[in-house]
Amino acid sequence: MTSGMFELLGFGPQGWGLPLLKAAGVTIAAALCGFLLGSIFGIGGATLKLARPRALRLIGQAYTTVFRGVPEILVVYLFYFGGSVILTTLMNTGGFPGFYSLPSFVIGVLAIGIVSGAYQTEAYRSAYLRLDRGQIEAGTACGMSKLLLLRRIVAPQTLRFALPALGNIWQSALKETSLLSVIGLTELLRQAGTAAGSTRQPLLFYAIAAAVFLVIGRATGAGLNRMESHLAKPWRR
Amino acid sequence: MLDWPFLTDVLGQLLSGLPLTLQLAALSLSIGFALAVFVAGAAGSAFAPLRWAAKAHVELFRGTPLLLQIFLIYYGLGQIAPLRHSALWPFLREPYWCAILALALNTSAYTAEIIRGAIQAVPAHEIEAGRACGMSGLLLRRRIIWPIALRQGLAVYGSEAILMIKATSLASIITLTELTGIAHKLISSTYRIFEIFIVTGAIYLALTFLMSAAFALLERQLQAHHAHRRA
Amino acid sequence: MASASRPAAADNASTVPAIAVDGLHKRYGAIEVLKGIDFRAHEGEVISILGASGSGKSTFLRCLNLLELPSAGRLQIFGEQVDLRQSGDALHIGNRRQVDRLRTQVAMVFQNFCLWSHMTVLENLMEAPIHVQRRGRGEVREEAEAMLRRVGLIDRAKAYPAQLSGGQQQRAAIARALVMKPRGLLFDEPTSALDPELVGEVLKVMRDLAAEGRTMLIVTHEMAFARDVSSRIVFLEQGRIKAEGLPLDLFRGGVNERFDQFISRFNQA
Repeated sequence: MTSGMFELLGFGPQGWGLPLLKAAGVTIAAALCGFLLGSIFGIGGATLKLARPRALRLIGQAYTTVFRGVPEILVVYLFYFGGSVILTTLMNTGGFPGFYSLPSFVIGVLAIGIVSGAYQTEAYRSAYLRLDRGQIEAGTACGMSKLLLLRRIVAPQTLRFALPALGNIWQSALKETSLLSVIGLTELLRQAGTAAGSTRQPLLFYAIAAAVFLVIGRATGAGLNRMESHLAKPWRR
Repeated sequence: MLDWPFLTDVLGQLLSGLPLTLQLAALSLSIGFALAVFVAGAAGSAFAPLRWAAKAHVELFRGTPLLLQIFLIYYGLGQIAPLRHSALWPFLREPYWCAILALALNTSAYTAEIIRGAIQAVPAHEIEAGRACGMSGLLLRRRIIWPIALRQGLAVYGSEAILMIKATSLASIITLTELTGIAHKLISSTYRIFEIFIVTGAIYLALTFLMSAAFALLERQLQAHHAHRRA
Repeated sequence: MASASRPAAADNASTVPAIAVDGLHKRYGAIEVLKGIDFRAHEGEVISILGASGSGKSTFLRCLNLLELPSAGRLQIFGEQVDLRQSGDALHIGNRRQVDRLRTQVAMVFQNFCLWSHMTVLENLMEAPIHVQRRGRGEVREEAEAMLRRVGLIDRAKAYPAQLSGGQQQRAAIARALVMKPRGLLFDEPTSALDPELVGEVLKVMRDLAAEGRTMLIVTHEMAFARDVSSRIVFLEQGRIKAEGLPLDLFRGGVNERFDQFISRFNQA
């Protein structure tokens, strides 16, 4: 096993190095896009949950309950099968017969985004609730409009309070990308599986995938920690 | 608008996968908890290699995707020849035991951290008070530290248990026909994704709801016990 | 209505009042906190608003820059009628821009300082002048530094509020109000949240401002300060102005029975 290992993992024509590196790129891209989409859902969800009308609050509540309570893999199926059902119906009624489906990357980003958004909703909501009302009032008293207050006072402070929770949610999103192997996205796990299948070395390739996940998680985690401690500076005495 | 006969048919078929889902969750949670106690103990050990091993265990199983862990065990272990010839092999080649092993190892890493955090959160002065009464060693742990830590850690462990119920769904990917496995079969054969998602989702929500209610009840009882003791 | 008493202030006093309030009411549900207040403040006056807790004095002050919306009544700031419109049982703001503009003219200092915790002291001072008043950054910076020098905090310009003492925070908050070049200042119990040993430094800054002939309305429990510094005392009880006049007259006693009771109770406490 060791003699061929370098060849197997190299970047030569026989090596799996390049495909694995590309797959790691896909993993990072899917996690990042999903997480960013999740931020939009999260801010929207938090806005709903903090809104005055009861109906809006209920919608926000339903969103977080469903997408935090249902297994992520089911959500992936929902977008995978649901997306193709809707797309095919649309195309067929539009006069294009046949079967259509969304690219697996798009499905993956949507699925991760909606699940991540449900968790981010809670992060943003509880961060907002920690804001000091007096500071918002001080802004109002200085003649700030609602929008200016949001931009200059509310948003920066909410983000800072939410950051530790967002860091955990990012790590989850990163790991969730592995589920996209099930719908055919060639991310790290699927690429490792392909390599494992054709070389009969599952232990090696899954271990490598694990190591890559650890490295990505560690590196981004360290970056987030630094950002967090930088942004927390004003609150230290 | 809703096709009730179809929905009830789906519900019936899905419920046949419920026992397997519950089994997977119950077994992996209990095995995982036992493992976690060891891991947490090792993490607090004075013997450095033991501490490192515990740290590596936690890092590995929290830092990588569960599905990868399942594949590593399901596809990878067979590559180890001694294992293939051992008495364990009849178990380890079964997807059922592979799933349980992966789930248990995964939850053990998270649970070990929960245990560690809960014990660290025990106020120092309460421990000191115990020492002042002449307690030490196991007695101090059994009467003071563990009961307080249990109260602190219970809520967090409750959400870990809920996550594990959801996590059992990944067993479907290595052919187990628990809830999600059946749901996937139904979706692939009928393509009625929305109805099936709603019914399956509702079952999972009901499970997580019951689980959190159980933990809330447990917590209340512990609190009541505690309040009584204080009074 | 009494006019300003001190000569310096009297010179500045124009015929148009700085703040004019007529028939101000404020209700929260069934509870009426302010029960019809008529009030004039002229430019250069320093007015202390006294009263027991629950008398409505803070609510009254907060109505003046519309942090609280009056339920009924009319409000004029520096000769400008505030556009308040009746809708059902309450008033609402007719013109947000007008309110935002007027708020920079009557700046507020809060009991809990309310500095923005994610900004340095200097950034706190520069925030509203740049983003609300849209003044130039260079000019605002100079002005902000001058104000910090004035309140003795120039060496703390780069510090964050959490790193300051309460007294320092309140001085910074006063400087933040001043950088907007307001025509009037509202103080809502500015020393109530401070440790006793830090009250003096804040009162000193306020004393200096008063000596400059600034228009100031101060809700306070500092009786000595009210007596020595203000040009006029307004005494609120149960949502109404019960007594009003020169501090020397009122504090001598015998002018208003309710005020005397309030003061004697206060001195006992």
